[in-house]
Amino acid sequence: MVEFLQFLVPGILIGGVYALLASGLGLIFGVMRVVNFAQADFMMLAMYLSWALFAGGFGLDPFLAVPAVFVVFLLLGMAVHWLFIRFVIGRRENHDAQVILTIGLGLIFQNLILIKYSSEPRVVAPSYANAGDFIGDIFISRVRLYAFLLSVLVAALLFVFLNRSRTGRAIRAASENWEAATYMGIDIDRTNRIAFGVGVALTAVGGSALVTFQSITPFVGFRFVVVMFAAVVLGGLGSVSGAFVGGVLIGIIQSVSQVWTSAAVKNVWVFALFLLILYVRPNGLFGKVQRAI
Amino acid sequence: MRRVVPFVVLIAVVAVLNGWLDQRFYVRVLTLSVVWALAGVAWNLMAKAGQISLGHSAFVGIGAYGFTILLRGGGTSPWTGMVIGMGVAAAVALVIGLPTFRLRGFYFTLATISFPLIMELLVSHYGDPELTVPFHPENEWKFMEFSDSHTYVWVGLGMLVVALVISELIDVTSFGFALRAIRDNEVLARAVGIRTVAWKSAAFMISAALSAAMAVLWVKAVLRVTVAEEVFGITVVIVMLSVAFVGGVGQTWGPVVGAAFLIPLAMFLDDSIGESVPGAQELVYAAALVLVALLIPRGILPAIEKGCRRLATWPRPSLEQTGPSLLGRLVAPPPRPSPLLRTPRRPLRPRLPQPSDAPVLEVDGVAKSFGANRVLSDVSFSVDPGRRVGIIGPNGAGKTTLFNIMTAHLRADAGRILFKGVQVDHMRAPRRYELGMSRTFQVPQGFHLMSPLDNVVVAAIGASMPDPVAASMAMLERVGLAGKALAELSALTTAEIKSLELARAMVSDPDLLLLDEPLAGLNEAERARFFETVDELVAPHTAIVVIEHSVRSLIQYVESVVALDEGLVIAQGPPEDVVSNPRVIEAYLGSRWMEHARDQ
Repeated sequence: MVEFLQFLVPGILIGGVYALLASGLGLIFGVMRVVNFAQADFMMLAMYLSWALFAGGFGLDPFLAVPAVFVVFLLLGMAVHWLFIRFVIGRRENHDAQVILTIGLGLIFQNLILIKYSSEPRVVAPSYANAGDFIGDIFISRVRLYAFLLSVLVAALLFVFLNRSRTGRAIRAASENWEAATYMGIDIDRTNRIAFGVGVALTAVGGSALVTFQSITPFVGFRFVVVMFAAVVLGGLGSVSGAFVGGVLIGIIQSVSQVWTSAAVKNVWVFALFLLILYVRPNGLFGKVQRAI
Repeated sequence: MRRVVPFVVLIAVVAVLNGWLDQRFYVRVLTLSVVWALAGVAWNLMAKAGQISLGHSAFVGIGAYGFTILLRGGGTSPWTGMVIGMGVAAAVALVIGLPTFRLRGFYFTLATISFPLIMELLVSHYGDPELTVPFHPENEWKFMEFSDSHTYVWVGLGMLVVALVISELIDVTSFGFALRAIRDNEVLARAVGIRTVAWKSAAFMISAALSAAMAVLWVKAVLRVTVAEEVFGITVVIVMLSVAFVGGVGQTWGPVVGAAFLIPLAMFLDDSIGESVPGAQELVYAAALVLVALLIPRGILPAIEKGCRRLATWPRPSLEQTGPSLLGRLVAPPPRPSPLLRTPRRPLRPRLPQPSDAPVLEVDGVAKSFGANRVLSDVSFSVDPGRRVGIIGPNGAGKTTLFNIMTAHLRADAGRILFKGVQVDHMRAPRRYELGMSRTFQVPQGFHLMSPLDNVVVAAIGASMPDPVAASMAMLERVGLAGKALAELSALTTAEIKSLELARAMVSDPDLLLLDEPLAGLNEAERARFFETVDELVAPHTAIVVIEHSVRSLIQYVESVVALDEGLVIAQGPPEDVVSNPRVIEAYLGSRWMEHARDQ
């Protein structure tokens, strides 16, 4: 039982971070129906930014750097939307273009970072990196706990933003019914741009939360791509709150599977669950039934 | 002839380069260009059906590991290993495909990513992350161990030509028609008898087998060692995607053009600045993907063809008025159905006979809910052969849902559908079409990337007609669209689209024709004409069920009416009785009007 809990608790903690990573992907899909394959590479870029702020002379704690990361990636996301994404939004014929555009952008980010920083793994180790506390027999890593708390805080702020602010409501309206939203005088291009920026920034903050216990390489994103998709699909593609629950579930499965199989194949369980959900409930665990024609 | 020229050009170019180039690096560039062209052609077979797979490295990995293990274990020839690997890859594709093909669009693409990831993790952890390929210099051909590296180019060229021939054959037969129909409009394809899962599975299996074959050549000629991270890796998929999208997605020759352009560019760049810029190759693919997505999403080949078409008609304004110029006919001949389609084919399964004592359609106690929303409850009626039945009811009464259940686009929660006395509930949409059930749609559906003629040809192929092209042309003549058989679908008027839908629905000579709001969007004159056209087209045995809001037009045409309201049959019988039924009037006009009428 203790062994099980020893896996369950870190699973929940890392799951909170997955939830934050996935909520950005889910928000973007929900609003503009774009599956952003570059999402995990924005996370990678944010990890490098946190690393640069920490190791590059400023000595800025990665958790304190979060507001700066959020703002930088909000602007970066909006710029990427304005420069690229807005041209491939909408019609069904654009699906292929969306897929290859976002894959291409992700590759460009990876290789630019590779050129600049080489493939040497980078680590961010603040003084408390190895600290932790025992609750009963369960060891809880301090950095993982902080990462989880940060994720919950950001999720709460996201909830307030989407439900209380004018822009947030516009985003929800666009996500609910794109066409009707335009009739209500919502500027869809602006809403998309902001949603893309916020979505990217959410995932970026998730990346900052990870750096204290995840080493950074230009290709680190790929390990998280399918985890993020799995979380989003689990919760129902396009649902932000669903993505959150999905993320936590994925973290738990990844971690608890180590009770039975090696840590090296923990992601096999995640991918298998991902496929199972796609086959059995393609609209997610809480998804709505849609009309066929 | 037009189809042979590219093959001659390809063989000539590769042969000249292979004879002329001597430096090891250049031969390597040539080899890899051929290898990736082959991989792209394999990947593109799925794209013909509009399916973007990000999981093809699963099959490359199976091919690579398969032949390496066999060669290491028992000294099996890589050729034998290749054949076995192709078989395994095809089998795996079938197993993966059957559940995955139920997913549409993004969901399919997302699902495919996970297969190579799972395989790579399992192989690396429980098997060998890396296998060296044993060296067998004793027999060059048996062990594919050529001392002259030019030979690998010849072998690769041979394989590429075979793959291209397969791809061309698919294009010109009903196989290709089915795949294009699926890409264009999968719901409609199923409604006209295209067995989408079967065709997609077939394409996926061939595509997987070719990917596995490519893997053997890749490992033997270039890699020399089988590494799980490499052969199952995402980079394989990215190169496949790049060459296919740059050249032309879904186009047989697209990947060849894409590979000829991208692979040398990436390799020369890597050779010149790779030391200082480690990601140069990947940046080429990435930049190509981004540029293609933004500028020419269908790729170079279709862009060139479009340009030629425009050039061909210049300076004359319209193609329809004058026809293409000589130049136009040379570079971009008008699309023409292939002669291979003209060969008579045996229907897969013969139609059901119509029993003399049974109605053609029996709807028995059908119920359907969407979540908590009950759309149909206990709907029952029957239609005799050759009869005309109208279905009326206010918006939201469940009329279209009823049609969708009859044609298996939706499943009923309860009740039975009998067609010619046989229960058809377990049969899917293509099967019901084959049996003689045909329909039109409330929102007219079409294959927008095809000509009007091809729209009807797909339906004729779905019904296993002996000569689909001739039957389709004859049907277009009867609805008065013969003059626009090869026009763009977007150039048709609403009335013409309706006629095209009718032609498509009638080409199989159905026993039951379902018309969903056929008069919507037509003007008075066209409305008056429409049912006359239907009567000219249908055989005496064909029963017709019409959903229509224009009750006046409808009751003049049908022999009986079924009235639905909120999912219940509120009246059925002769048209005059049903329209004077107080419950029907109430449903249409509301109870307030009824009180008002009573007061008068």
